[in-house]
Amino acid sequence: MIEVKNLEFSYGKEKQALRGLDFDVEDGEIFGFLGPNGSGKSTTQKILTGILGGYSGRVSMLGEEMKGRQGPAFFQNIGVLFEFPYLYGNLSALDNLRYFSSFYPKEKLRDPLKTLEELEFPAGYLKKTVSSYSKGMRQRVSMARAVLHNPRLLFLDEPTSGLDPSGAVLFRRMIEKEQKKGTTVFLTTHNMTDADLLCDRVAFLAEGSIAALDTPKNLKERDSGHCVTVEYMWQGRRDTRSMTMESLKGGLSFACEEILSVHSQEPTLEDVFIRYTGRGLS
Amino acid sequence: MGKDFRAIFWKDIRMLVSGKFFLLAMGALALYTLYVNFGYVRLVELSMYKVCLWDPQGICVDGSLLLQRASSREELDRMLLEDPDGVGIDLSRGKAEFLLYRSTPQVERYLEDYARSLLRPQEDFKAEVLGAFTTEEKQRREITCELLFFELSAVGFLGIAAVLFREKGMGVLRVHACLPVRGRLFLLSKLAVFLLSDLCFAILLTLLNVGVGPGLAILPDVLVETVILSLFMALIGLCCALFLQDFRQFTMIYLVIAVFVATPVFLSANTSVKAGWILFHPFYHLYMGMKNAFFGTPGESFFYYAGAAVGIGLLYMLTAAAFSREMRDAPGGLRYAGKDVEKREEG
Repeated sequence: MIEVKNLEFSYGKEKQALRGLDFDVEDGEIFGFLGPNGSGKSTTQKILTGILGGYSGRVSMLGEEMKGRQGPAFFQNIGVLFEFPYLYGNLSALDNLRYFSSFYPKEKLRDPLKTLEELEFPAGYLKKTVSSYSKGMRQRVSMARAVLHNPRLLFLDEPTSGLDPSGAVLFRRMIEKEQKKGTTVFLTTHNMTDADLLCDRVAFLAEGSIAALDTPKNLKERDSGHCVTVEYMWQGRRDTRSMTMESLKGGLSFACEEILSVHSQEPTLEDVFIRYTGRGLS
Repeated sequence: MGKDFRAIFWKDIRMLVSGKFFLLAMGALALYTLYVNFGYVRLVELSMYKVCLWDPQGICVDGSLLLQRASSREELDRMLLEDPDGVGIDLSRGKAEFLLYRSTPQVERYLEDYARSLLRPQEDFKAEVLGAFTTEEKQRREITCELLFFELSAVGFLGIAAVLFREKGMGVLRVHACLPVRGRLFLLSKLAVFLLSDLCFAILLTLLNVGVGPGLAILPDVLVETVILSLFMALIGLCCALFLQDFRQFTMIYLVIAVFVATPVFLSANTSVKAGWILFHPFYHLYMGMKNAFFGTPGESFFYYAGAAVGIGLLYMLTAAAFSREMRDAPGGLRYAGKDVEKREEG
């Protein structure tokens, strides 16, 4: 679906934003693109969505090599959700969706009302102007706009930003549903929970280069100490002890009256990210 | 493409309706019409220049009845002090001496010729009345032309920039970069909406203030000039909105345009103040083109129309380039969306 080979891009002579990116995204995959601010995520997304030209290297999207400004056929197959909900504040949710959907072939379109219902958009606000919506409501309308024309490739930039926990769960379910329909998802995020729960593979971007690329599970396992911490009671006292996975095979090597908890010491995706890039995400 | 254009066009109309642009335009039309019909043509009197004569020897026997005779040189001076725009003729030495208390070199000659024509109406110095318009008709055409020029150059320009700043602030330009629609339709739609709005305004303003019969006679020429000026101003407005960061910066540019660009044009075209360089000012030619259209004497050359077409073409190319850059970089959206949402959530 996406093939990127030795992608380089500079803003002017001095600021090189991308330094030879190499990655590909398979059909129907959810691919996470993670990196701190200024690492080149937005630049990469702008190139992939056909907004930014003037790069070197090879970029192939939807089976075709990108050359110059893309034609309408390309944009009919992609959907983009921006980090901020860009909508016409003076129009209602429905009017916004009707306006944006007017640029796609009718046979490709979903029913805007049903899509909004799916995203649990409050019915009472359907005809009110967007300027009266909360950020969560705007984000729901933006998500509806991005998927309205059933794109083959969906670019999502911080999709759960500004949503309450139940909204974030709803969005994750929606993204998984899109994947089941065969949509490929390119997810740019700071949110490690989203990346961990949703992505088939993630790429860590640091200073314009990919520092690591694998499944979240593999990345965490690779950096795991393979040990567990056991918390237990012995002779009326609470105590903890760390032990390797290997040593667990033979059972507990110490006496205890009660096991209170067992914690695997697997690193979080954020720990792995910091280890690879030397920087936190925020 | 037609379907895409219609969608953007109706969206732009809704943007203008919600921004109360049409309401403001109708308000301006009503205000201008009231001013012209009940203020300007009734209250502003364009009287003839007073010509005062002191002729102690009685040389002038067949002078015009418009001559106001003084009984002494002192009285002549007093008459001119009362009306410094008038012309005094002193025949005490047997030869006409012209006295002008307040004038400029450009006007002086015409005033002197006029005074001479009153002194010897039977001879060569006969003042010719140009055109067949009555004073009121001239006044109506003059003021309607000025109001239309002001509306198109100042108000329409502000309107189109305000709409684009609003869209820039909402961040929706960035969304359009990822839509299967040509960017130029976005610009063409805005130009079409403002052009139509300006044409409707020009038709109504002309018919209501010049009169239906005379208005219809000059309307084709007025509309041609309206198209040229409207496109120029709309493109300048779009360019400003695309190149400038925010509306505050735009208001500064607006002042510069209003004070330093429009003022010399109005002064040169309507008063005796003339600057040589004004001939190089494109808006002077646009204003004169409009004025000629209102007075039914369109005499603009091929170079005028060719220059206007080239100017509009260049401005369009510049606007299209700025629009592409804006879609690519779209810096405004983040600020607006963030601030607006924060405000709403605090509320």
